[in-house]
Amino acid sequence: MIDTYRALDWSYYGPELLEAIFDTIYMVAWAFLLGGLLGLAIGLTLYTTREGGLLSNKSACMAMNFIVNLIRPIPFVILIAALQPVTIFVIGSGIGNDAVIFVMIWASTFAIARIVEQNLVSIDPGVIEAARAMGASRLRIILTVLLPEALGPLILGYTFVIIALTDMSALAGIIGGGGIGNFAIVEGYNRFNPEVTWLAVIVVILFVQSLQLVGNWAARKVMRR
Amino acid sequence: MSTAPLIEFNNVSRTFGTGDKTVTAVEDVSLSVDRGEVYGVIGFSGAGKSTLIRLINGLERPTAGSVHVLGQEISAMREGQLTKVRSRIGMVFQQFNLFHSRNVAGNVAYPLKVAGWKKAEREARVEELLEFVGLTAKAAQYPEQLSGGQKQRVGIARALAAKPDILLADESTSALDPNTTGEVLRLLRRANEELGITIVAITHEMEVIRSIADRVAVMDQGRIVESGLVYDVFSSPRETKDASFVGAALKNRPTAEDVQRIRGHASGRLVVISLQNAAAVSAVLGEAASHGVSFEIVHGGMNTTKNASYGLLTLALDGDSHSVEAFVAALDSAGEVQEVHE
Repeated sequence: MIDTYRALDWSYYGPELLEAIFDTIYMVAWAFLLGGLLGLAIGLTLYTTREGGLLSNKSACMAMNFIVNLIRPIPFVILIAALQPVTIFVIGSGIGNDAVIFVMIWASTFAIARIVEQNLVSIDPGVIEAARAMGASRLRIILTVLLPEALGPLILGYTFVIIALTDMSALAGIIGGGGIGNFAIVEGYNRFNPEVTWLAVIVVILFVQSLQLVGNWAARKVMRR
Repeated sequence: MSTAPLIEFNNVSRTFGTGDKTVTAVEDVSLSVDRGEVYGVIGFSGAGKSTLIRLINGLERPTAGSVHVLGQEISAMREGQLTKVRSRIGMVFQQFNLFHSRNVAGNVAYPLKVAGWKKAEREARVEELLEFVGLTAKAAQYPEQLSGGQKQRVGIARALAAKPDILLADESTSALDPNTTGEVLRLLRRANEELGITIVAITHEMEVIRSIADRVAVMDQGRIVESGLVYDVFSSPRETKDASFVGAALKNRPTAEDVQRIRGHASGRLVVISLQNAAAVSAVLGEAASHGVSFEIVHGGMNTTKNASYGLLTLALDGDSHSVEAFVAALDSAGEVQEVHE
């Protein structure tokens, strides 16, 4: 055991860790931005095409549900492998941070779609009816009633997803991506250097905690409670 | 144009579901509402009132018949075409349906945004409306900070915002306590009298009809079983179903349980007499002893409508059968007499 013990050498680990943190933020931010928008669009489609919804359309609703249910249960690590040909076609490479982002966008899109749908379902239908009765168009209702009315829970849902994305990004190393997860495995675990692994753990905890704090604060501000 | 009814239903039906599960919410309803009047629709819950009122602004579509509102055939329009006519029809809801994400001023301003008003005009209009409903001081508050009555006043301000021709009141006071109900009804009456807005109000509360309606339709199982001036319908309901509803709502006609309770202490023949001419009835009652009949008042009540009062009394009459018969005939000449069935 004494053999494998190495003191934390900051002159080496400092720049490595900084780069890992940057990679994680890079992956999570892009996947969150694009997955968040696509997921919002699909979530709105799922909700509004329901029976009795603003754009009620049984076949569109069924088709969309089928697709969401098809992608969502696939474990992320398998999704990385399964999407490989698509990733190479779209990104131009099956490895690296950008390839990981591509797969993370898929995973987050369908997770967010369900979260958006679930939060919209909890909106009082009476409020939507009131907006219809005032002569608001369907697009206006979606933008100025549905989203503002569900904003608080939506912020909490998105916070949940951004943390899930941080989790996913930790697997980047298996296709040559970077990030804190990769740092913990390559620099810590593989080199029998538990201090470095724990350093990565602490960084991840701080990262996730601060995201959750910001999310909670924003949701509370919106819901005024 | 001005003489045409503002709202016209021609043999309108609305069914839900198919096959064995078909439910008829509205069945073969024809009615018309004139400009400037307050038209009440009353009935038990499940009578089809909510569907009926939603047919007026196209939130529901008829499965048969036609609905004309403001000179347009609402029932023939698609959802996208309805936005324009809907901005001329305000609606107030039982559960208020305020936007929780907007403050009071924001709620009232919303229909103005929809109708394309400019910012300065919107602000002036919102101020004017909040003054009308007495909530100027609450402009920046959010719905959850308001009481039920205040919420409904915001709902009314919002419904009146875009200067509609018609106001639909969907059980607008059913979620409120009696004091607040009065407050909201006074506001609706002012909207009708001061702003000249035509109101259609659906309710299960007689109070609403009595204090604001000019005409009333009684609805039961999707059909309009009786309609006319409020006084005429309430003072002499024609159909038995209708009579039982009006009686139950007014509480001036004894129910089966009431009769049972009355029988605990009173014997003799039970009759209900209407008090359209209360003075004449009083005069006949004063002569009871000379007919050899004694009477006891066992049930009854007086009610006031927008412009008249009426009531029913239930009497237990004792005496030999000939005397009672003669007395009932005398009563019948003063006010219509109905037997109480036991």
